[in-house]
Amino acid sequence: MNSLWIFPGQGGQTAGMLQNVDKALRSHVEELLGLKLLDTDEAYQDSVQLQVGIELLQVAQVNAMQAAGLKPHLVAGHSLGVFAAAYAIGSLAQDDLFRVVKRRAELMQGAYPQGYGMGVVVGLSRPEVEALVAQVNSSEHPVYASNQNAEDQTALSGELAAIDQVVTLAKASGAVLARRLKVPVPSHSPLMAKVGTQLAAAMADVTLQKPAGIYLTNYSGRAVRQVAPVREDLSNNLAHPVYFEAMMGVAHDYEPDSIVNFSPGRPFRKVLGQKFGDLHQVNLDQMSVSDAAFLLTKWERGTY
Amino acid sequence: MSEERDWATHREAKANKLSAMSSMIDGKFAKTSDAKAILEGLIAPGDKVVLEGDNQKQATFLSKTLASVDPAKVHDLHMIMSSISRPEHLDIFEDGIASKMDFSFAGPQSTRVSQMIADGTLKVGDIHTYLELYARLYIDLIPNVVLVAADKVDRDGNLYTGYNTEETPVIVESAAFHDGIVIVQANEVVDKLPRVDIPADWVDVIIPADEPYQLEPLFTRDPQNITELQILMAMMAIRGIYEKHNVQSVNHGVGFNTAAIELLLPTYGEQLGLKGKIVPNWEVNPTPTLIPAIESGWVQSIHSFGGEVGMEKYIAARPDVFFVGKDGTMRSNRAFGQMAGQYALDMFVGSTLQIDQYGNSSTVTNGRLSGFGGAPNMGSNPTGRRHSTPAWQSLRPDNDPLGKGQKLVVQMVETFGSNKRPVFVDSLDAVEVRKEAKLQNVPIMIYSEDTTHIVTEEGIAYLYKTSSMAERQAAIEAIAGVTPVGLRSDPAVVKDLRARGIVAFPEDLGVNRNQATRSLLAAQNMEDLVKWSKGLYNPPAKFRSWS
Repeated sequence: MNSLWIFPGQGGQTAGMLQNVDKALRSHVEELLGLKLLDTDEAYQDSVQLQVGIELLQVAQVNAMQAAGLKPHLVAGHSLGVFAAAYAIGSLAQDDLFRVVKRRAELMQGAYPQGYGMGVVVGLSRPEVEALVAQVNSSEHPVYASNQNAEDQTALSGELAAIDQVVTLAKASGAVLARRLKVPVPSHSPLMAKVGTQLAAAMADVTLQKPAGIYLTNYSGRAVRQVAPVREDLSNNLAHPVYFEAMMGVAHDYEPDSIVNFSPGRPFRKVLGQKFGDLHQVNLDQMSVSDAAFLLTKWERGTY
Repeated sequence: MSEERDWATHREAKANKLSAMSSMIDGKFAKTSDAKAILEGLIAPGDKVVLEGDNQKQATFLSKTLASVDPAKVHDLHMIMSSISRPEHLDIFEDGIASKMDFSFAGPQSTRVSQMIADGTLKVGDIHTYLELYARLYIDLIPNVVLVAADKVDRDGNLYTGYNTEETPVIVESAAFHDGIVIVQANEVVDKLPRVDIPADWVDVIIPADEPYQLEPLFTRDPQNITELQILMAMMAIRGIYEKHNVQSVNHGVGFNTAAIELLLPTYGEQLGLKGKIVPNWEVNPTPTLIPAIESGWVQSIHSFGGEVGMEKYIAARPDVFFVGKDGTMRSNRAFGQMAGQYALDMFVGSTLQIDQYGNSSTVTNGRLSGFGGAPNMGSNPTGRRHSTPAWQSLRPDNDPLGKGQKLVVQMVETFGSNKRPVFVDSLDAVEVRKEAKLQNVPIMIYSEDTTHIVTEEGIAYLYKTSSMAERQAAIEAIAGVTPVGLRSDPAVVKDLRARGIVAFPEDLGVNRNQATRSLLAAQNMEDLVKWSKGLYNPPAKFRSWS
């Protein structure tokens, strides 16, 4: 099976999403981290609860898929999702994953005071958005072009006032949509370089294995098979845009025969449709792992 | 007197390499499990290596084996490949096994090729047309080692390459007669071959493969996906080009536009009384959408670059039409096919992703360095050629006593692509890609000067009739719809161009838009094609909606 597994980051979380997670795994993680996972809307206001919760959900799904005899050929995580991606491709060990994710969440929590965040522009090309950003960006009012989720969808990251200025310019230049996002930190921009350095230090003694397939990097949109770029992506992707559109473009060259969308939510519907047309997809947000395994096995046999 | 020069250094080097590996080679045969050691022993750092990656057939076993060699032993190879089709074709660059690449087509790996050039991981010699690449194998890209794929081999080492002979002969010959080493992967070792396609004498090492070579049904188009717009364009092309220029020989690209033409010949073409008058002779792969035209007597001959999965039995049963050996199976040959496509045809009909305001076209778009395959050979006018067919002569200028005819090169495009982006643009993405990839030439697929006709859903521009670049631009604008280029069109100018026959709309050609419905297709779906073939065509599973 030549399957592409995709792991989203924050955004699609819902209260109660951990209900069906393997109980033993959940208590193991809680004990490992000394943390009670609450799985409520209120708790998900907290970075550590949110990030650990999402990764627990994804790791539980990976384990269930593997128990059903399925494995990926390609993995793509988006932002926080890189950890479960690296786990699924055999690069990062399970306990290391949870320790690192907790540390990442703590570092992000303390990284920026109020007044920073992210935005998005839809309907302009990246060079067009970069040109607008260049008009606004300054050392006092920093703003950067950030994640590229689809060809015509570029995120912004930086000071909120500067983001608002770019949003105004983008609307005047014919953007279909331009607005702030509910994200309290300027993720995936050079403003997070310090967090990247701290996380890299925290990860120094974490051993990574050579991926047992293809790992798609956030920071460069490349397909890699070596440890070094995976380590760079896990420790430092917060300081770089997520080049998700490029990741999917290069994934296409490996001609996957199916896509598995891990929870929570299903944020990549549009770009996946553009890149892969009507390729078989399963969405673990909407079906059980056993249903997904049934479909994937059926498709592999060629009975359509 | 200086010392006598040794004139056989290549031969001696080859003999030394082979004798060093003699413990692993029995006659010409090596074990599957020794493949990696064989490649490590016979390929030297810096060698020029041809890896058979054709359009359809891939030497998969040897490419995977090459990707597994120790980069400390084998490195900095100069790869020569007509088609970069598989991930491991590029993995060898990441791992340092190879450093330089000359190629023709990278469609399936175009994103990664462009990333790796940008990263400096892959150095490009040139992006060639197929014929240039094959020709250079005999001039300054003479290979040290070639890695090719055969269907069957006999105990003596003769090869059967059958339907998918494709590039094997042209590759093998370049090495076999210049002391290169010829290494073959074989699907099967048999006592008796159906026929000999490559003699054992030209082959050095044969390794049975762990699984059959990869073969892709690249030229199969399901009629179900043909739209009514494409049917309208096909009707215009048949009236305004095939009939008008009395076209006898043709190559069709791989798109749905040309599939629509193939499926309209037995219906619309018949209604127009064109049967027996146009396109008896084809240079084209055995595409299933040609079956109705063949069965109803439109087609006299088809020579092919490669085979097509599922068409084997049908081809075997139609030896009058296809090139078939005494054994009853087809033989293809891409080098001869490209030669025929460039030099022997009246007309090439293809499609593209972008056409600029001057009429240059390219399938290279931002971030995707795809190369072009056969289009630049077949879609170019070989200016040294004199040709007396009615089609060529119909393009002869009246005002030049030394004037000669021209090949018809037709681009058929809808004004907006499937990605909702305009096909007609002021400047090709290829101009930017050239800078990023540091290429000598802008990667244009077909030049404006060679393009004689453009067909869109709006109409046909007869570019060969234009007498200046300004007039050429106006003709393109007239059929470019609501793209930025098309919006510049001036109604008064269009009226004049139509009056002078430089632009034709459907009504000018006597094409009735209301007739452009799917019921006009000779086959509506794959099942119809199977019926037309009298059950001889056996579509691959992914094209079956029934079981």
